[in-house]
Amino acid sequence: MFIAKLGFRNVFRHKKRTLITAIIISLAILIYLVTDSIMIGIAELSYQNIINLETGHLQVMTEQYWEEKDKNPLDQLLVKDGQLAEEIKALANLQGMSPLLRFNANLNNGVEELPVLGLGIEPNTYHQVFTTGDYFVKGSFFKAGEEKAVLGQSLAELMDLKVGDYLTLLVRSRERTFNTIDVEISGLISTPNPNVNNNIVFVPLDLAQQSLNLGDEVSQLVIRFRGDQGEMPTAARQLTEKVAKINPDLRAYPWQASAQSILAMMEASQIENIIILGIIILIAAVGIINTTILSAIERTEEIGMMKALGLKEGEIILAFMIEALGIGVIGSLIGCFLGGVSVAFFNRFGIALSAFGMGEIDIGIPIIDKIYGGWNPGAFLFIALFGVVVAVLASILPARWAAGKDPVKAIYHR
Amino acid sequence: MKKNTIVGILLLSLLLITGLSGIVTAITAEEIINYRDKNEYIISARIEAEMIIVNGGRKMTKTLRSLSDDQNALTEFTNPRDRGTKFLKRGEDLWMFFPEAEDVVKISGHMLNQSMMGSDFSYQDMMESDQLTELYQFKILQEEELDGRLCYVLEGIAREGKEVSYYRRVIWVDQERFVGLKEELYARSGRLLKVSMVNKIEQIDQRWIPIESVMENKLRENTRTEFKLLSIEFNPEIAEGVFTLESLQS
Repeated sequence: MFIAKLGFRNVFRHKKRTLITAIIISLAILIYLVTDSIMIGIAELSYQNIINLETGHLQVMTEQYWEEKDKNPLDQLLVKDGQLAEEIKALANLQGMSPLLRFNANLNNGVEELPVLGLGIEPNTYHQVFTTGDYFVKGSFFKAGEEKAVLGQSLAELMDLKVGDYLTLLVRSRERTFNTIDVEISGLISTPNPNVNNNIVFVPLDLAQQSLNLGDEVSQLVIRFRGDQGEMPTAARQLTEKVAKINPDLRAYPWQASAQSILAMMEASQIENIIILGIIILIAAVGIINTTILSAIERTEEIGMMKALGLKEGEIILAFMIEALGIGVIGSLIGCFLGGVSVAFFNRFGIALSAFGMGEIDIGIPIIDKIYGGWNPGAFLFIALFGVVVAVLASILPARWAAGKDPVKAIYHR
Repeated sequence: MKKNTIVGILLLSLLLITGLSGIVTAITAEEIINYRDKNEYIISARIEAEMIIVNGGRKMTKTLRSLSDDQNALTEFTNPRDRGTKFLKRGEDLWMFFPEAEDVVKISGHMLNQSMMGSDFSYQDMMESDQLTELYQFKILQEEELDGRLCYVLEGIAREGKEVSYYRRVIWVDQERFVGLKEELYARSGRLLKVSMVNKIEQIDQRWIPIESVMENKLRENTRTEFKLLSIEFNPEIAEGVFTLESLQS
């Protein structure tokens, strides 16, 4: 009890030094918490943008198409027949289902040509799955059968196009024969997903099928459920079992399967967190070691006196460890407080990507404009404990050095 | 009697003339294309050429040399800006070598539709080497004078099941020299995509060869590519290993 009291009293004997060391620890903790929050924010926003604007919750397509999907092939497609539609409609919590036809095209404005992704959509069902319709800057979606198109505002600006202009999509049918789709622009969108804004031209599904000579075939069916999207891999497995009975080539893929690059980035961010933890260890350890050594030098005579009075080495070490524990707790608390304020700020107001110098460029994540920080209470608890433990452990070595001194030499300060 | 004989001879002559002219006009569209191919379809050659790309107010001149046999071709650009850029066609595959990056890229899928070196030719246009009569069903549309030369105007529609880039093509073939003077290439939708015009023809080794031609991409305004054949050598000796990826990178 005496040792504990002594240790805690020592914490406040040099308030300035304690505060400086605690602030060093707290800054390291703050960096960790903010980084963690931003990474969580990027992940959450990326997932939302992928689900809302690219994949829905589940995608049904043939296994062969899935393997080649990056090339947008026009073979290995599927037909949404009655049985398949019934099977999907029977799913619990289903919000909507919509067919998509993806095809390569050259967007032509009469002067320049640009390779883009053509997307044939069914206007009546598309909005049940995707939120693209919420992001119109001008105009609106077309109706089925209309010879119209919608594209991202940024793509339109690049090609000097506006609503009401005509554009030509140069495509190749399954027989590899050139065909053209001449359409009037009915609307321009600006979504939070740069992939959609910069690369996609939406046209009515029936027009795309006719131009590509594909009959009723589509690339995939996209499915959206109401509410939580946590258990999609399980839902995908269950749906695969059902649809494979209709067509053995069909599979259901969860949205996570299309977000591999983002998931990989999140895994990489774990490594980043480990590196930051390493830096925290270093900063905290240097701070604590420095403080402990300074205390020990300052209290050399005191240590000698205590030893002469019969205090054991272990008890002296314990006193220093308790002092470090106190500093660690103060640092962790300040760090968590500052972290909490910062995360709350980022969570409420977000941070513009331009702040990192990457507002207008494609950084490989489906986000533009602003990132909002995410809350992770576990990270606060973990880093607070981590800070304290590191502080305590870092104090052991210098404390042993101090405690190992000869009491007589220590008293005479030799 | 004498009068009848004269009338008979006249009638016979008339029949013969109309009959003969019938034989002359009875040449089929396929035969015309085959005659043209005999002139223009080159199995193996070494050529040097110049490509002038005009896009709006900009004009770029590229020079190249190319070696080809019935399945393969190796083309190397020789103008200072593109020196060392090479294309290798092997059967159905096309590779490109960038000297600056020292990297070989396979051009496939959607990339084949892109413009080759900024010209009005697509990579796919470079790949087409099959004889047209195998791919298209031709018919004679009409006879028409083009730049003072009497031409057959032929229409080719893609044969069912054949993989062709252009669904319909209309070709003006010189009636005397059986060389194509103009060609229009159409999409399945009926939209005119490209037009090529031959400006100069020369007889080389008893074949009429287009020496200067112009290709226009009709989906883009103010753009054309002039192609000038500077030299041609038929059936050159081709060393082994020329049409390989190793030689592409050397």
